[in-house]
Amino acid sequence: MKQFILIISINLIISVGFAQTLISGKVDDAKGNPIIGASITLKNTYDGSSTDSLGNFTFKSFEKGEQWIQFTAIGFGSDSSKVMLDGKTLNLNIKLKEKLNELNTVVISAGTFEASDTKKGVVLNSLDVATTAGAEADIFAALQTLTGTQPAASENGLFVRGGAASETNTYFDGMLIKNPFNTQVPDQASRGRFSPFLFKGTTFSAGGYSAVYGQALSSALILESKDLPTKTTSDISLMTVGMGFNQDIRFKNSSLSIGGNYINLQPALSIFKQNADWVNEPEIKGGTIQYKAKVAKTGMFKSYIEYSNSDLSLNTNNLDTQTKSPFSNGNKNFYSNLSYQDYIGNNWKINTAFSASDNQDNGLININQYGRADRLIQGKTTATRYIGTLSTLKIGADWLNSKRNESWNGLKREYNDNLNAAYAEGDIFLSQNLVARVGLRAEYSSYLTAANLAPRLSLAYKTGKFSQVSFAYGEFFQNPEDQYLVQSKQLDFQKATHYMANFQKINSGQTFRIEAYYKKYADLVKTNPTLNNNGFGYAKGVDLFWRDKKTFKGVDYWVSYSYLDTKRDFQNYPTLATPHFGAKHSLNIVYKQFFTKLKSYVGATYSLASGRPYNNPNNVEFMAELTKTFQNLSINVSYLTRIFGNYTVLYTSISNLPGFKNEFGYNYSQNGNNRQAIQPAALRNFFIGLFITIGDDTYKN
Amino acid sequence: MKNQITTTIAIAFIFISSFVKAQDEKYIGAMKTGMQLFSTAKTGADYTSASNHFERVAGIAKTEWIPFYYAAYNQMISGTMLQDANQKDLVYDKALELIGKAESLKPNESEIATLKGYISFMKIYVDPMTRMQSGMGLAMASLEKAKALNPENPRPYFVIAQNQFYTPEAYGGGKKVAKPGLETAAAKFETFKADGFAPSWGKDQNQGLLDQCK
Repeated sequence: MKQFILIISINLIISVGFAQTLISGKVDDAKGNPIIGASITLKNTYDGSSTDSLGNFTFKSFEKGEQWIQFTAIGFGSDSSKVMLDGKTLNLNIKLKEKLNELNTVVISAGTFEASDTKKGVVLNSLDVATTAGAEADIFAALQTLTGTQPAASENGLFVRGGAASETNTYFDGMLIKNPFNTQVPDQASRGRFSPFLFKGTTFSAGGYSAVYGQALSSALILESKDLPTKTTSDISLMTVGMGFNQDIRFKNSSLSIGGNYINLQPALSIFKQNADWVNEPEIKGGTIQYKAKVAKTGMFKSYIEYSNSDLSLNTNNLDTQTKSPFSNGNKNFYSNLSYQDYIGNNWKINTAFSASDNQDNGLININQYGRADRLIQGKTTATRYIGTLSTLKIGADWLNSKRNESWNGLKREYNDNLNAAYAEGDIFLSQNLVARVGLRAEYSSYLTAANLAPRLSLAYKTGKFSQVSFAYGEFFQNPEDQYLVQSKQLDFQKATHYMANFQKINSGQTFRIEAYYKKYADLVKTNPTLNNNGFGYAKGVDLFWRDKKTFKGVDYWVSYSYLDTKRDFQNYPTLATPHFGAKHSLNIVYKQFFTKLKSYVGATYSLASGRPYNNPNNVEFMAELTKTFQNLSINVSYLTRIFGNYTVLYTSISNLPGFKNEFGYNYSQNGNNRQAIQPAALRNFFIGLFITIGDDTYKN
Repeated sequence: MKNQITTTIAIAFIFISSFVKAQDEKYIGAMKTGMQLFSTAKTGADYTSASNHFERVAGIAKTEWIPFYYAAYNQMISGTMLQDANQKDLVYDKALELIGKAESLKPNESEIATLKGYISFMKIYVDPMTRMQSGMGLAMASLEKAKALNPENPRPYFVIAQNQFYTPEAYGGGKKVAKPGLETAAAKFETFKADGFAPSWGKDQNQGLLDQCK
């Protein structure tokens, strides 16, 4: 036994007695810049080192013979090399490749503004939407401070790059929302129905968007709902326009949220002089239920159900008879969306969703009873196949049933359309710096008995560490608007073709974008002499965007400028003309700053738009006159405090603080003798809200 | 015959135990080297190199959670010394990956849960405006778990109080809010004993913040 121990000891001494090998070298990135803090390890031993500020390393080892040395560094792929350790000094020079991530890989960017809370390198996040002055937490109003859009205070919706409001569609977890706005009052825009806080990501595409989406000639607004709330909380809001309540209940793997709100504009509208002659100011009652659950390891189920009803009535000026003419509306809106997504194996992801909505409007226009009922049912499934580290292939199918009933003093008409679509789209990364997105969408409408085939193509190339260029081309089809479909079956799809080129540079804290586009319209609906698809037009322009969170400490601002040249012959136009949503120049400056001492977040938005065309029937030239320049300056202040220990935000906003007198056009009497300016509902708007969160016990204990 | 077997077994046993002992010594030596790197580190690169060393140790001592713990802790400290937000994120992600490995070796360890919560806080502070809402709950859950696993551990109390200390009053933080937590942590630091390589940091930092509260 003693002998054995002796032998073992001798062995140990001998091995220790061998000469050490000195290993040194340098670790660089692909461009030859030193990598600092890279780890060098002699595999299966404790021996190794790290690189210094010049990328150099050196260490010694007692190990012998053939060994592997491994090189790793944060943000880089690893590498290893085989070495012979025999006491002779080794010198190793290694290059590591940068790992692919969201920041160093090219992305498809032409036409798209993405707002996300999780992704990097995006332009806005959901909080930006909520805190933009003048937007009052309305998603659509906040998007009007980006490029390519125009201020639209007299009509619901977004005017994107010379497109009418109906050419922009909104999608909730991939599903089309038929009625994203509260009911439109004559010549006044209404708020969007959905709170920005429902969503974790917003993609606003001003053109050239993915083949996964259809039925929008100009623009797609894609909203992605949040996942499970992290804890159980209650939210109470008290506002000058009403009150709201929301309860989130978090279970281990699921959550339930129940919310309700009551809005009554009567008190708010009676403070400031209104241009509208209200009889009953808008009153809205609504409720939402959301249930979300994690399913197995990777699945996520989400459901959202909303119901609301609203009533309003007012007197409008009848320019022909020079008398007041009543208008009233009662609206009932139901919206539901169920979605499920999961990963199958390592390479597949499935998204499937079902949505149903029903919207009913009834009321009086002058002495006429009108009614409108819109129903939309949609089912959609997309399968995504991941190929390699970056590339993907998506295939999917979409079924959309839309139905509208209209009544006018007891006379009825309706249409019912089944739109079936199939699509395929590949994101093909030819390298880390070059990506091509190739897509194709096919649609068939049972009502129009027509089919379309829409190719889409985008290319993006990374030109530098922070910069890239992209190009996009695509064909887009959309059914004629409901008001035409109920009148005629003899219509066809309307069509737009987009071309655009974009350059962007996103450095940490600073974003610069410039984009030029050309858009060609064909087969637009015309109402003369009978309904037909002979309308056409074009839009071209340049958009500039600059955002800076870096230069001034605590200050975040962005500037967007859009130049637009557009003409079209559609609807009842006698000739090719610039439409009323075709202001040549639009400028927005959005400013935000947090004042720590005042515990306040202050924001201001200034908007400027050149005059909009309008038609004066007394002028022989059609749409030849322009309104005055539009200007608006809005400010808001959010004061953060606690009430009975609960996290509270006191929010105040004033729109059009200097009182610019804006007009969006004129309504004329039939004989052209009388006219009335289309103006915002009030010169200024004032809003105060108190938002309390109960149960946010982050700092208790 | 019987004797021979006994002798063989005995020899084998001694051989194995001396081998294990040699391994242990190597491990202890490597840990000591690591602790030396850690305690003398000044720059971000120093902490990275300490972290790299501990990760190397963790690669050999496959059942020990302590090397992964220190690899994560040093990585986090190096992250605090960086300026670039994207770099910070990469480093904190790496630290989270390392502490995750420690956690899979010892799922219910108060120290691991503490550090996991700490790194999560640091990650939130890279972009607080956007991450506060979604990240806070997870970070706090980990620290609450750390308290539950070992109520005597002062570190989760210190990490929470430190976070309150540096959070603006407007967001529910501030010195006043932080003080009771710092005091609780201070009392626990007095009685808490750490053996061997077990984590023992935080006492001085805690006292430093407490002094500023007066």
